[in-house]
Amino acid sequence: MKRFDKRYIYSSLLSDLFSSLVLIFVVFKEFFLGDEANTEDIIDILPVVAIIFAVVYLCFIVYRILYYKTSGYELTQTEIKCNRGVFVRKRSILECKKIHAVNKKQNLIQRIFGVAVLTVDSGSTNTSTQAEITIIESEKNVDELLNKLSALKDNTANALVNEQKEEILLSEDDSLYRFTSKKKMLYTLINIASTAFFTVLFGLLAIIVLSVCKLMLQQNFLGTWGEYLLYATLITLGAILLFSSFSFIGCMINSFIGYYNFRISKRGNDIQISFGLLEKHTNTFSYDRIKAVKISQGLVQRMLGFATIKLEVIGYTNDTGNDNNSELGVLVPFCKYDEVSEILGKVLPDYIPDKKQTKSVSYFPFVSWFMLILGITTSVLLLESIAVMALLKVPSTVITAVSLAICGVAFVILIIKLISAVFSYKNNGLSASIDKITVYNGGFTRNVTVFKPKNLIATENVATPMQKKAGITSLVMHLKTNSLSNEVKVNIQSDVITQDVEKLLTL
Amino acid sequence: MNMKKLDKSVLKLWYSRAVIISLVLIGMFASVAVILIFAEAPSNVTLAILLGAGSLDALLLFVTLIMPILRYKMYSWGYDDRRIIVKQGVIFRQSVVIPICQIQDLHQTQGPIMMAFGLSDVTISTAGSNFNISTLTTKEAEALIDDLESILEARLEEQKNEKI
Repeated sequence: MKRFDKRYIYSSLLSDLFSSLVLIFVVFKEFFLGDEANTEDIIDILPVVAIIFAVVYLCFIVYRILYYKTSGYELTQTEIKCNRGVFVRKRSILECKKIHAVNKKQNLIQRIFGVAVLTVDSGSTNTSTQAEITIIESEKNVDELLNKLSALKDNTANALVNEQKEEILLSEDDSLYRFTSKKKMLYTLINIASTAFFTVLFGLLAIIVLSVCKLMLQQNFLGTWGEYLLYATLITLGAILLFSSFSFIGCMINSFIGYYNFRISKRGNDIQISFGLLEKHTNTFSYDRIKAVKISQGLVQRMLGFATIKLEVIGYTNDTGNDNNSELGVLVPFCKYDEVSEILGKVLPDYIPDKKQTKSVSYFPFVSWFMLILGITTSVLLLESIAVMALLKVPSTVITAVSLAICGVAFVILIIKLISAVFSYKNNGLSASIDKITVYNGGFTRNVTVFKPKNLIATENVATPMQKKAGITSLVMHLKTNSLSNEVKVNIQSDVITQDVEKLLTL
Repeated sequence: MNMKKLDKSVLKLWYSRAVIISLVLIGMFASVAVILIFAEAPSNVTLAILLGAGSLDALLLFVTLIMPILRYKMYSWGYDDRRIIVKQGVIFRQSVVIPICQIQDLHQTQGPIMMAFGLSDVTISTAGSNFNISTLTTKEAEALIDDLESILEARLEEQKNEKI
């Protein structure tokens, strides 16, 4: 069994050094930066800190060496084996034909030392958060392994190990898709506009609450509690604004550093996506492993005619444990909506969305239940507030203000829902054929999901008795994937479509 | 396909659960009342809080006690050699269709109260989601699992022959 590259130890120890320093700093922060810190105390405590740091770092050194000594891998013509772990030993054997995805990852320190992490995944349910095989090797060996595994997976090892596959680049200068700086900036601004939209909405609700708090203070009602409520609202508003600023910075970093040198290539039956500056990702997966393609458009994106194309591939999504890590599931981060068919035509021709064959048959069911629940909740809240305040002999001006505030908040929520329902009514629809199913859904965010009928696991009809009488239903489709979001729902359709989809299900 | 209703003994289980939840709700309301009395809160404040908590508690109690019978009336299930259908839901009626060839594993589960009433849950795992048929008699559950196993084996055999 071949051991991992020795440089793994050095690269890991360098990142451990930073981790140890941060850990020690956090523990002893009070001694160095506290209000009562003085130079003499710091000098006294320094030897203790140094010893603790040495012990912590020694633990890391021992762990890394043990990990290196106990880990290894072996690649044969039929399977890949991997041993790893110090405290919990893990031995994995994966047949090459069962490989779902091969991903290469390299962070900045690993790039300095020339090593990379290769993860090989079978796509089984227990590997939805962690890859089956993890190999840490030199970058050159990882690239070789990537090519070998990709060939072995297709059962064409002998033919392709020494033969370069035909490579079609889709993100070079003359290619179809390039994530240019201009697109990245626009992408960032659109994300910010979306955040700003919801900040304004939140601000509107906050103003209503603030005006009530102000009135309560003027009336000296609740005394200090009124002040606390006012401060709490102001702090929350400030936090939201701060979050928007951080989101802008985060989005910039994500677009320019996270998506640095974004490149899609097609090699035979494989699709390879690589991107990243500080942490470089190279994700390889077979065309036939794709379960669904999702085209998303946020409200601002839709107004400006842009879209994001995401992929649902078993075992591809990530090895970080976060199932919603969209970064790794992205095929095209940002493109014009009109270009979607053209891009998919080159990369995934079987997944070009079909036009809607059905559309939502009625607007009212989108809001009826929401209006009923909102009406009941608002009435109960209003009546109980008035009753409680009357019993507490609260001045009539405060009772009026609180009642108006409750009605105001309910009104704003209702308006948002009514607008969202208009979008849902226009968006929802379905197209089902023997080759593929295209589902249009979403309210403010429009989604178009395309998948093959063979990946449909089960269907679920949801309708109230009245909707059933009127021949209306909502259809939930369960897809074959180990992702948490394996359902696609299309709302308020004619119930005839249920039979069409059920036929495809039991084919 | 013949759709079956659940056995009436299921109601005993669901009502046992409803009684436990109701007792918890009543207990919570009583605790609030006791705390207010011991804290010597002004009578109008006590009345206001008890009015708010009491109306909410009464609503929840009503829903908890009416739900089992409605749920029982709306629940039905059935299967043939191609698919399993489960219909359920009180306000929103759901109807799930699961093709038998997509089944990965079958699970039979029993909690202590279910064991006492001779009932079982059956969970059908597929490559995408898990689906639950709640709550069958243990005999029905065992028969369902045996039937599904044999249908699945026959389907796999058919598929093998088709490939050959």
